[in-house]
Amino acid sequence: MRVDPFFVTNLVEPLDQTQLSEQQLTAELSSGVRVNSLSQDPVASGENVLLLNQIQRDDSFTQSSSLVQGKLQVTDSALGSVVSQLTQAISLATSANNGTMNSSNLKSISNQIDGIREEVLALANTNYQGQYIFAGGQTSNTPFTMSSGTSPATTTYSGDGDVNSLQTPNGQSIQLNVPGDQIFAASGANGVFAALNKLVADYASGSPSASAVTDTEALGSALNYVSQQRVVVDSSLSKLTAASVAVASEKAQLTVAQTNLMQADVAQVATQLSLSETQQTALEAVISQLGSNSLFSKL
Amino acid sequence: MATISSVFSVISQALDADQAALSIVANNVANANTTGYTREVPNWQENQPIEIGGVSYGAGVTETGATSVRDNVLQERLTQQQQLASASGSRLTALNTLQALFTPASGSTSSTAGDIGSDITSFFSSFSSLEVNPGNDALRQQVLSSATTLAGDVSNAAAGLNSQKAALDQEAAGVTSQVNALTGAIAQLNQQIQSTSATADAGTLEDQRQQDLSQLSQLIGINQVTTENNGLSITTTSGQLLVSEGSSVPLTSGNSGGVTHFFVGTTDVTSQLASGGGELGGYLTARDGDIPNVLASLDQLAYSVSTQVNTLNNGGTDLAGDSVNAGNIFSQPQQVLGSAEAMSVVVRDPNHIAAAGSGQGTGDNSNVVAMAKLASQSVVDGQSPTDFYSSMVTKLGSTVSGVEAENTAQNASVTQLTTQNSALSSVNLNDEAAFMQQFERSYQAASQVFTMLDKIMASALNLGTETAVS
Repeated sequence: MRVDPFFVTNLVEPLDQTQLSEQQLTAELSSGVRVNSLSQDPVASGENVLLLNQIQRDDSFTQSSSLVQGKLQVTDSALGSVVSQLTQAISLATSANNGTMNSSNLKSISNQIDGIREEVLALANTNYQGQYIFAGGQTSNTPFTMSSGTSPATTTYSGDGDVNSLQTPNGQSIQLNVPGDQIFAASGANGVFAALNKLVADYASGSPSASAVTDTEALGSALNYVSQQRVVVDSSLSKLTAASVAVASEKAQLTVAQTNLMQADVAQVATQLSLSETQQTALEAVISQLGSNSLFSKL
Repeated sequence: MATISSVFSVISQALDADQAALSIVANNVANANTTGYTREVPNWQENQPIEIGGVSYGAGVTETGATSVRDNVLQERLTQQQQLASASGSRLTALNTLQALFTPASGSTSSTAGDIGSDITSFFSSFSSLEVNPGNDALRQQVLSSATTLAGDVSNAAAGLNSQKAALDQEAAGVTSQVNALTGAIAQLNQQIQSTSATADAGTLEDQRQQDLSQLSQLIGINQVTTENNGLSITTTSGQLLVSEGSSVPLTSGNSGGVTHFFVGTTDVTSQLASGGGELGGYLTARDGDIPNVLASLDQLAYSVSTQVNTLNNGGTDLAGDSVNAGNIFSQPQQVLGSAEAMSVVVRDPNHIAAAGSGQGTGDNSNVVAMAKLASQSVVDGQSPTDFYSSMVTKLGSTVSGVEAENTAQNASVTQLTTQNSALSSVNLNDEAAFMQQFERSYQAASQVFTMLDKIMASALNLGTETAVS
């Protein structure tokens, strides 16, 4: 049986191979990453793209939600202040309607309600980071303006009824604003300003007008309506908190999954590396031992 | 009857034969490391015996020349495997360069720079962030910058692919002159072999021809057909004639549609060469198959994203008050082909991002909600942008790892066949030493016989008297 006379020199190729694999393993160990190129694990590379996408989306939502929280809290506290102002207005109006007040008292009540109206107007025109929060979609213009030319005064709303929402990564939709016309409507039975304007006019002359009691009741309904709208804001706030918590825990899980997918198993790599080194030493010994003696040296 | 002088001539012929055999051994030893050299063995031919008076007398031996020990079938199998191994080898090199453009991000911030998958996510996330406060300038700037990053990375990747394609094109074109030199040399050798040794193995000339054939098969895929009188016809794997008897047909190249095409005579053989094997086959497969596939996917991604985003932007209201003509965010591609390399952001003013719906106030965010939703809609060839990119990289990775496996297997096969061939045809110094010993001994033996004959001759001449001749 014949033998390849070059078999010892051909052993250099496997030697090169072991050195190449050592190089790759060392690179894996130093970078800590198992998959350095697409061909090393194509399925993992594809999976990795999807996982990173989800993680980054969750991250971005976490940042957005803290901005949103600020805005919703400002909305909530503005509405809270409105409720307390209106409560005060109602108690003033009620005391004016009980018939025990004289003309100058009534005029002073009118002025106090006027002051409350100014407050509520300012609250209705709350601005958060350059946007009017009760203006619907017309956030760059002051939503409520009052003209005292008529008696009772008129309040006009220059915003619209547009409602914005924020999409969570899970597909939920969180309402971000309540339009001014739904809360403070310039006209209509629930209108806060309509009721306040009428009440101011009712006591301005020093004697209660015929509609004073009806107008007080109207203000009472308006107050209830504002409280109801506040619930919408509160529910957005709690949905937001719940979504943030869910997203944060999802991100934590996905990060673990992605790390497991892409990071090198140090123990395994170290073992393979030591095997490679052993193989290399063995091959080198074989090559040097066998050498290239032939019969010629014995003749 | 055998005379002493006839025995002398037999012995001197034996000495010549042994000398010739020794020179063959010396030649083998001298050429032990010559590439392509096949070891030679001496041919011993018994001379025709002479018949005199019904008695036949042996007439000695002649050494009729050396025969190269080669197995033609084995060598042909070797060249076939070398073709396949070169093809997958050069294709693998090209693919490794190609996949380096899409190295997976490990998740750390530095690794995601330049990663198209992360760019896609950041781009659509910037729209999600804008939902919160559509009028905010900082958030709008963020949209612009993530759009610019996405467009930049996609067009860079496409440009990288195109420049790799051009480099492969040059390498492929460079193969032509080498191929022609080899086919020319083989044709000449054919002529020489057919004229000098039409019926027997041609020795050194055959060695040279095999060498040239082996080099040629590593360059392009060939089929070989042995013709009469030790001739060799060579065709490409698809049947185009390259060498026939003493003439060779040159392989020419020419530019067609921006890439180099290859011709034998007037026939365009480019696509046949791509599947035929050899280095050229590998280059052409990468240039005409692998790279255009990835480019087509990138083009599809760029086209769909640009078109969808532009359409939505043009359907909304921006901060400058334009409703339903806010303009394009990306430069609108006219066709899918080439849209990846041309992808760029054309909007300069962040106010031109139409976050609000058509006809709505500037604080509305319904249009930007729709733009953010594109991330999960099937807008790119029936998949969402991220899913499309993910399956693109998986496909590419699978292709490369498939070629890697193929190449490893073929190289192993080549090694095995080379070992078999070497075992048969390479000079084994132990064998040569043993032969040398053998021929030396037979030379010694013959010369001893010669000395003995000389003494016998002297006795015959002296006819009994010892002193006349010694």
